[in-house]
Amino acid sequence: MTTTAQVTVPAGTTPPAPPRAGRPRRAGLGERTIPYLLLAPAVVTILVLLGWPALQVVGISFRRLDLGELVRGEVVWIGLDNYRAVLSDPEVWTVVLRTVVFTAAVVAATVLLGLLLAILMRHLAAGVRTAVQVCLVLAWATPILATTTVFQWIFDQQYGILNKTLVKLGFDSFAGFSWFSSGASTMTVIGLLIVWQAVPFVCFTIYAGLLTAPRELYEAASMDGASPWQAFTTVSWPSIRPLVMLATFLSVIWDFKVFAQVWAIRQGGPDGGSTTLPVLLYLKGIASRHFGLASAIAVLMILVLLVLTARYLQLLLRSKEGDLS
Amino acid sequence: MKRWTKVMTGAAAIALATAGCAGSGGTDTGGDTAEGGDRTLTVWLMDGSAPEPLTDALHSEFEQAHDGVTIKYEVQPWNGIQDKLTTALASQNPPDVIELGNTQAPSFAAEGVLTDLSGDVDSLNGDQWLDSLKASGEWDGKQFSTPFYAANREVIYRTDMFEQAGITAPPTSRQEWLDAIAKLDAKFGSDPQFQPLYLPGQNWYALLSFIWDEGGDIATKDGTTFTAALTTEEAKAGLEFYKQLVDVSGTTAPKDNDEQNPVQAGVFGQGKVAMMIGLPWEVATATEDAPDLKDKISAFPIPSKNAGETAPVFQGGSNLAIPVNSANADLAKEYLKLLLSEKYQTMLAEAGMVPGASTDLSPLEANPVSKAMAEAAKNGRAVPATPAWAAIEAGQNPLKDMLTAYLTGAKSLDQATADANAALDAAFSSGA
Repeated sequence: MTTTAQVTVPAGTTPPAPPRAGRPRRAGLGERTIPYLLLAPAVVTILVLLGWPALQVVGISFRRLDLGELVRGEVVWIGLDNYRAVLSDPEVWTVVLRTVVFTAAVVAATVLLGLLLAILMRHLAAGVRTAVQVCLVLAWATPILATTTVFQWIFDQQYGILNKTLVKLGFDSFAGFSWFSSGASTMTVIGLLIVWQAVPFVCFTIYAGLLTAPRELYEAASMDGASPWQAFTTVSWPSIRPLVMLATFLSVIWDFKVFAQVWAIRQGGPDGGSTTLPVLLYLKGIASRHFGLASAIAVLMILVLLVLTARYLQLLLRSKEGDLS
Repeated sequence: MKRWTKVMTGAAAIALATAGCAGSGGTDTGGDTAEGGDRTLTVWLMDGSAPEPLTDALHSEFEQAHDGVTIKYEVQPWNGIQDKLTTALASQNPPDVIELGNTQAPSFAAEGVLTDLSGDVDSLNGDQWLDSLKASGEWDGKQFSTPFYAANREVIYRTDMFEQAGITAPPTSRQEWLDAIAKLDAKFGSDPQFQPLYLPGQNWYALLSFIWDEGGDIATKDGTTFTAALTTEEAKAGLEFYKQLVDVSGTTAPKDNDEQNPVQAGVFGQGKVAMMIGLPWEVATATEDAPDLKDKISAFPIPSKNAGETAPVFQGGSNLAIPVNSANADLAKEYLKLLLSEKYQTMLAEAGMVPGASTDLSPLEANPVSKAMAEAAKNGRAVPATPAWAAIEAGQNPLKDMLTAYLTGAKSLDQATADANAALDAAFSSGA
């Protein structure tokens, strides 16, 4: 609203009310709509491509939509039946709990490792730092399923390098040990895989934050006799806090809905022991073609995710600029 | 609120896949039903099913016989075919003829998305149909898909190794099979990489053979409902024999994976394996990198516990169907009629498949590997013809979990079978 000077008042009409102090005068209609017109293409695209399908999901979750209904184009409303079926299935609650615990563990590990690596990078000599950065970028840039395949071979029962190494080190019980015979160890392997792929982004994000803390502050802190821990909490932490928040929030979303790696490792097995919500959704929706039921699970996923990220959303909505520091 | 949209992205992507085509089913009256005008018959067959010389001959014969009809022939990959068919069947212009895996066929039939062919069985060479495939095409007393071709597993072996180990004839009973393993082990066992039999822990097709051979089954049928039967003594005995094979052969194949991971034919091709349980065309994969093995490979049917018999085998294969929305169902039936005629079924057999609509298996006898398959095919069986089965195969197969749990010792025989039984029952009741 800095265009006040250019606004011309047409002569001959009723004189405008004298502008009150501190309140900008009204801009012309055209000027007021221009920002909205400029935003329109993006907003419309988002609404058409994301908003409408999202609404459809909610709609479909109240319908019975199997292949037959889909092909015949029938619309069968069944009210809350899908939700009743989902919520009354004890397996679903196991899966929800497993997904939440898994997400929490993986996010915590990712952020902690990313943070430690970022601090480490700050203290490394330039050459070594570049090497570490190249490695991180490579781990990050490798296609998801390529890394997954590599991990599958690392943990392979017979030919895996992990078992072979453990046996060489004297742990003979690992000869022919199957890492994928129980849900817990399968989830651990999947967790490691996801942490491996997620750490680089988090690490670079936090490292970028660390670089914004001026060197002089560290010097001042050390002259004041601050321990490394005090220097971290008083100098580094304030500059990286918003970025750690951001990385945590994004990681929660990504890790909560991760599907490809979980599916590729053991299709959610053994005995459904590594089935997470996205895998359950795929099994019900795509493999069994109960699209209504799958939509109900999708809505449930959104709700769980909302609960998990409520604190961040609250902060985001409270601060107008999206500044979380 | 941009974060919000990110939250929704996952759900929206799924919505696009499902909802995107929800509105399009409709009651449209397909565009090209006009009589007399030029018509196009769209045919989807699967990758690796009908050989090219067959389809070339078939399509030129069909086009000559039907004036103004063009065949649009598309070969589809198996990978992701369920999703593709789902979308295609819901579209306004579905293909007119489709090929379905025989284990997927019941799920499509039960949804009522296929044309009822009950009245056409006779004109489609019905008296020659393969029983197991006919059964997989039936739902609720009606015939929704026709047999196309089948294949079954057999024991593929190295003739040179058998000779050197002093095994004169291929085993014809379980005992002879175990003896052969012992002899091979005695002869080549000094090589730590040698395996008399390569058998991964999750080859559930082999397990089916053993369970059926014991007189058991994975499920019993009552009307259209199935009840899992893995806790029977027969099923347990089949599982025990599987373990015996794994233990006796000392196979180093992973206990927690199937024959595709790693591809067993590739392991066989490395020349340190004397036997594997596989399909005839796995021989081609095995000899791809080892052409010198070509003359040293033969096959015998999976032996039965009863000497001289062959064990029942799971008959995998394909069915043919006409989508209910097809605008050219009449032409599609004509097409099926030609494809299921003796001429083309014989060509299928010559290409090394068990023909779905011809009881004449003599063309398979030219090659010892297909001959063994034909021999076992007489005792071919099918998995439960329930719509739930497609989901079991596409998702989490309790039989695989059961095998791994039992073979690795994670569960006792009773526990493993009880858990798998419960999982199968749950799948049967939720899948329909």
